[in-house]
Amino acid sequence: MAFLLYPGFNQRIQMSYMLRDLEKKLNKLKMIDEDVKAKTIESLQRYAEEGRDVKSELEKLLDSFIISPESMDPYGIVWKLEHIVNTWEDRFEEDVMKLCSKADNMKVKTLTNLVEVARGIHYIYRVVRHYYLLGKKTSNIYLILQMQMLMPQIMEIAEAYHYASYAFSQGQPIGDGIGVLAVAKLAYGKEKKTYEIAKDTIVQEMDFEGRKLIIVRAVGPGGTVGRPGEGVKKVVEAEGDKVKLIITIDAGLKLEGEDSGKVIEGVGVAIGGTGVDKYKIEEIAKNKGIPLYAIVIYESIVEAITPMRESIAKSVDKILEKVKQTILEKVDKDYTVIVAGIGNSVGIGVT
Amino acid sequence: MFPTKPPANKFAQPLTFLLCFNCKTENSRPFKEGDYVFLEVEEKCPKCGSNKMLVTGIYVKEKQEKKKEV
Repeated sequence: MAFLLYPGFNQRIQMSYMLRDLEKKLNKLKMIDEDVKAKTIESLQRYAEEGRDVKSELEKLLDSFIISPESMDPYGIVWKLEHIVNTWEDRFEEDVMKLCSKADNMKVKTLTNLVEVARGIHYIYRVVRHYYLLGKKTSNIYLILQMQMLMPQIMEIAEAYHYASYAFSQGQPIGDGIGVLAVAKLAYGKEKKTYEIAKDTIVQEMDFEGRKLIIVRAVGPGGTVGRPGEGVKKVVEAEGDKVKLIITIDAGLKLEGEDSGKVIEGVGVAIGGTGVDKYKIEEIAKNKGIPLYAIVIYESIVEAITPMRESIAKSVDKILEKVKQTILEKVDKDYTVIVAGIGNSVGIGVT
Repeated sequence: MFPTKPPANKFAQPLTFLLCFNCKTENSRPFKEGDYVFLEVEEKCPKCGSNKMLVTGIYVKEKQEKKKEV
């Protein structure tokens, strides 16, 4: 019994328990990673030519990386970041297109999303494995403890990625697409002019109670978020001083205990991602003195990347009610309002 | 250390909601690959028999849970 009193022994026992718990979760992560990879290979194979080694080409895509621009001199960093991200997106899409030569353009976009999901879960697995092995090798209880504390959230995100792979492989709308869904419903059945303004981004011009309503959204039903920042910037430049309001609609992260699908109004630009699109809209709006209104639909990170839930889908009518009311209150007749539906357009068609 | 294979399709599958152009009834069925919101499909309406419907929504139905206020 005396050895139990030896300093540090209790800590060793505690560490072995924590390592065992981490190992169990790491095994589960590995299974999810393998399942998502298998699902991705199966989906890609359906559109690839016979005899093409999809597995090794997917491995190459999963291990690819992006190096963020140098920020020592922050001047012009947004444009550098935009250039790198655009290059990355174009290259990723081209690689998937080459691999799946039988798929049409829309399917390529959804398959690209699926590969991104597979890459995301593979990265999570690699990072967790790294800290597990490092903690074990160095017997660093604090490293292991931190990892163990983070594991419940990491597992939740991993499960969400798992579920997301099913959604993307079949082209089902996801929670993040609520902004696109709302503007699609706003444009449905109206007489309008539709054209592409930036890569994967379309504009729909129509009349709304004497005001010119311009909708900016990602083109669907393939999975893409488009380039709404570039789209809004070009529209404002083309319309001159006629634009009196910009409204962005997007999914926003809710806090625990809050209801999913709750519609909240605020000011600013509701866009996630790298920040490039947000910057572009803020910049042009500031230069022209255009007010920025935002409508956010609460959802969790899991709900954002998994098939759309009823409470989120049903919030569309509330969103449209708020959009219409805001336009009537803030924009005079004969002026222009831009409504940007932000999010992934997977499973949402162009109306 | 004894990994088991994750059960396939353990996730709730979404339903596709269709609106009949003729009788304006909303019907639902399990999601089929190729469905997307605002797609016009040639499917028979169970109520009036018309064969043109519009996909108005694709989402996972939720059970109504009584929440405890915190």
